[in-house]
Amino acid sequence: MDNQQSIRPHPKPLRESVNLSDRTLASLLLAPTVAVLLALTIYPLIYSIKISFQGQDGNWTLENFVRMASDRFFISALAHTFVYAAVALTFEFLIGLALALLLNTHIRGRGLFRALLLLPMMLPAVVVGVVWRLMLNSNFGAVNGTLKSIGVNTDALTWTASPVLAMASVIAADVWQWTPFMFLILLAGLQAIPQEPYEAALIDGSSAWQTFIHVTLPLLKPAILIALLLRTMDLLRVFDQIFILTEGGPGFATETASLYIYRTAFRFSNFGYAAAMSFVLLAVTNIISIGYLRVLQTKEA
Amino acid sequence: MKRLLRYFAVAVALFTTLAPVYWMITISFKREVDQFALPPRWFYFTPTLEHYVDAFVARSFGQYLLSSLIVAICSTAGALVLGTLAAYSLARFRLPRNFDRKLALWILSTRMFPAIVTAVPLFLIMRDLSLVNTRLSLIITYTAFNLPFVVWMMRGFFAEVPRDLEEAAMVDGDSRLGALRRIVLPLVAPGLAATAMFCLIVSWNEFLFALVLTQTDDAMTLPVGIAGRVTQYGIKWGVMSAAAVVAMVPILAFALSVQRYLVRGLSLGAVKG
Repeated sequence: MDNQQSIRPHPKPLRESVNLSDRTLASLLLAPTVAVLLALTIYPLIYSIKISFQGQDGNWTLENFVRMASDRFFISALAHTFVYAAVALTFEFLIGLALALLLNTHIRGRGLFRALLLLPMMLPAVVVGVVWRLMLNSNFGAVNGTLKSIGVNTDALTWTASPVLAMASVIAADVWQWTPFMFLILLAGLQAIPQEPYEAALIDGSSAWQTFIHVTLPLLKPAILIALLLRTMDLLRVFDQIFILTEGGPGFATETASLYIYRTAFRFSNFGYAAAMSFVLLAVTNIISIGYLRVLQTKEA
Repeated sequence: MKRLLRYFAVAVALFTTLAPVYWMITISFKREVDQFALPPRWFYFTPTLEHYVDAFVARSFGQYLLSSLIVAICSTAGALVLGTLAAYSLARFRLPRNFDRKLALWILSTRMFPAIVTAVPLFLIMRDLSLVNTRLSLIITYTAFNLPFVVWMMRGFFAEVPRDLEEAAMVDGDSRLGALRRIVLPLVAPGLAATAMFCLIVSWNEFLFALVLTQTDDAMTLPVGIAGRVTQYGIKWGVMSAAAVVAMVPILAFALSVQRYLVRGLSLGAVKG
């Protein structure tokens, strides 16, 4: 294809010498990827900005953004999203950290256990939804069935049918599916910590708890922040599991921002308003992740 | 004593992880009498295949399965071909004014939008193109979805290959693309395979875009088909579980094959990247 290049006697490191044919080749190889991403992410984004400034009649307007401020459904959907994200993140982090510490010790069958514990995060969200509907069904679900058979009165435990328990149920399903992700990243972080600081702590006579607080946690901080960042971004956009488990119900109890935007667009065909709300969600997600990155950078500096 | 406690904790974690999945699998093989039995029957029931026959012969789940396979395979292939070329370019060539690094970051950033932000306009665009309710719409969408991941994973793998190898081949008269094909690609093959598996998992599992873009039987994927049954009244739990088990099986196979590369993939593509 490019013979004139292959007869170069001894190519210098490419970092310094980029001749024209190399540059052409580099661009040609990149072009299809850039084209696809422009067409399928940037163009839709511009399209979306456009319709968010248009009313149902197609005229230019700010009404979609004005409406949001007084839309108590949207505000409560945002509140549900934050509650969901905060509670799920806390549990996923604490359990994930505990599991990572546990499997970072000498345990027989560690590789197999690790593989099995990672299973939930690989599953399709739909399957997770089905699994938890089967577990939590108030008539024949395994949870209530088991409780009943040991003599617990389960009449009040209607899980996905009661507003408070429904939120707990969708959070539990999320914790079940995504704790493994936290566990995986934290375990990788733990395994990257060198032995020396621990030996030093041992010589100093630190207790296990002191070693954990003063040695493990500070050294694990980058891994912790990355894990928290990635999970937070996913939690704020949560859609799939909730759609399957409760469809945002009962009533409005588990409706998150993504679900409300979906419903506005695809049930009520108000695409402009949905687009406007999706930008608010995008802004919120970005502000929070920039916050994390700031912390991450100051720690590295 | 401490040791025993550790094993106990691991056992609890394993039980919590696996029991719900096991429960769903038993439901898919249980007759309705056994499904509703109290106390729950974890082990003893008469197994039946009726729900699998019902789902995949009498109902359209076979069709959904086919759509899922076609969409996952085509979009993975598309993303691998385009993304590998781009990754090679980013790993080997420097463009003026650091343009290559800026481009790499831009490519990664396209993955950061919440899905719903893109789903709304993408539906309207696909509708204008008369592509709604076609598998093609999903193949295109998932290709774009997987591209950033492929580029970043493969860029890491290419960077691991010493330049000397392909430069030697080029001195021997190979073109750069010839050296890429004969020398470099075989060396990154394990990484390529792992990347492909991750793409297959993502495409196979994806839900929101599939829900928005495919609503008819001849195009919808398995997750959308299952969700449609779940949210209707009069749920056939056995049929649904059978379909969910089938949706899960390929993932187990994919996941097991990535296991070997999971840490390697993460450390190369994600952590070090």
